[in-house]
Amino acid sequence: MRQELQIGKMMVAVAFVATALVSGCAKNVPLRTESTTSGIRAAEEAGATKVPQASLHLQLAREELELARGLAAKGKKKEAASMLLRAEADGELALALSHEDAQRVEAQEALERVRQLRKDNQ
Amino acid sequence: MKTRHFLIPIISAALVAGCATVPPSELTNARFAYQQASEGDAKQLVPAELHKAKESLNLAEESFKDDSDSQKTKDLAYVAQRKSELAMALGATAASKAREEKAEADFAQKQTAIVKQGKQDLSDAEKRNAAALAELAAIAAVKEEQRGLVVTLSGGVLFRSAEATLMPSALVKLDQVGNALQSVRTRNLLVEGHTDSQGSGSYNQGLSQRRANAVRDYLVRRGYPADRIQARGMGEDTPIANNNSPEGRANNRRVEIVIEREFPASNP
Repeated sequence: MRQELQIGKMMVAVAFVATALVSGCAKNVPLRTESTTSGIRAAEEAGATKVPQASLHLQLAREELELARGLAAKGKKKEAASMLLRAEADGELALALSHEDAQRVEAQEALERVRQLRKDNQ
Repeated sequence: MKTRHFLIPIISAALVAGCATVPPSELTNARFAYQQASEGDAKQLVPAELHKAKESLNLAEESFKDDSDSQKTKDLAYVAQRKSELAMALGATAASKAREEKAEADFAQKQTAIVKQGKQDLSDAEKRNAAALAELAAIAAVKEEQRGLVVTLSGGVLFRSAEATLMPSALVKLDQVGNALQSVRTRNLLVEGHTDSQGSGSYNQGLSQRRANAVRDYLVRRGYPADRIQARGMGEDTPIANNNSPEGRANNRRVEIVIEREFPASNP
């Protein structure tokens, strides 16, 4: 009977320690910013800084990433994750707008080549 | 008075309820952005991206129902707006790409047509030249020189002695030449007048110029473009035969029509 009581106490202790460990780890899980930072880098490499609309969203993404890091540092995990979603969305949009601009220029050049060919051979 | 007391809580409740259902600006913007995206190129060209935007908006709407004014709702709505804008950007890119591909296809098609037409034109021109050459060879002496094709007409056939007026028999001859030249109307012509060595050099120079002018003017009247035909008096300076015999002098009295090359021959 005494032995059973001791086992019960041990189990309670193990459960307590495990809960403490899990909650402790969860609190210290670092903010996963890899996807956002790589999105921002991709937008920069695609020339987002040279396209006004893309540049705006790139700047927003950078600012939101910093805010997310700040919130994470203060332990506001949910708010940080939510802010990180904003940063990721703005980074993706900056990249897409850069591609759109480059594509528009290419299409314009192709149309101009056709126009010039027609003009030269009228 | 009693009625007023009764109304106050009702109005207050209505106001509270009304305030509670006013969506945050982020959600309003997200709804508007999705509407714009669904009416643009995205619907046709990037439907998967538009679907993602819709799902994102649904999440924001769900959150709004659960907790209308929460930061989570605002963040989800903000992301939903961006997703719709992303779909619009990707749709515009796809539309632009389609335009570029069509332009490139048009370019290639046009180029092929130009090459084909060029070959046809060249072939037609070669045929015309050959026909003109055969026709001219039947009328007058024709020879290929570095400067082009030279058609030589005897002066005795064209003019009376010491005159620059075309004889009626010359008109028949020049009509035939003029007809043959119609097929090479894009070529420049040079009409050269030549004399024998009888008389002074200056007289012969003037006579050869007048004769060249007479032939040029007649060919222009026959329809050859005036801006493509020049007349030049060469006097007695370029004989093709000896001036000591009557036959030689007769050969030297001549008019040469030089049909210049379309593309100047390169020097060997």
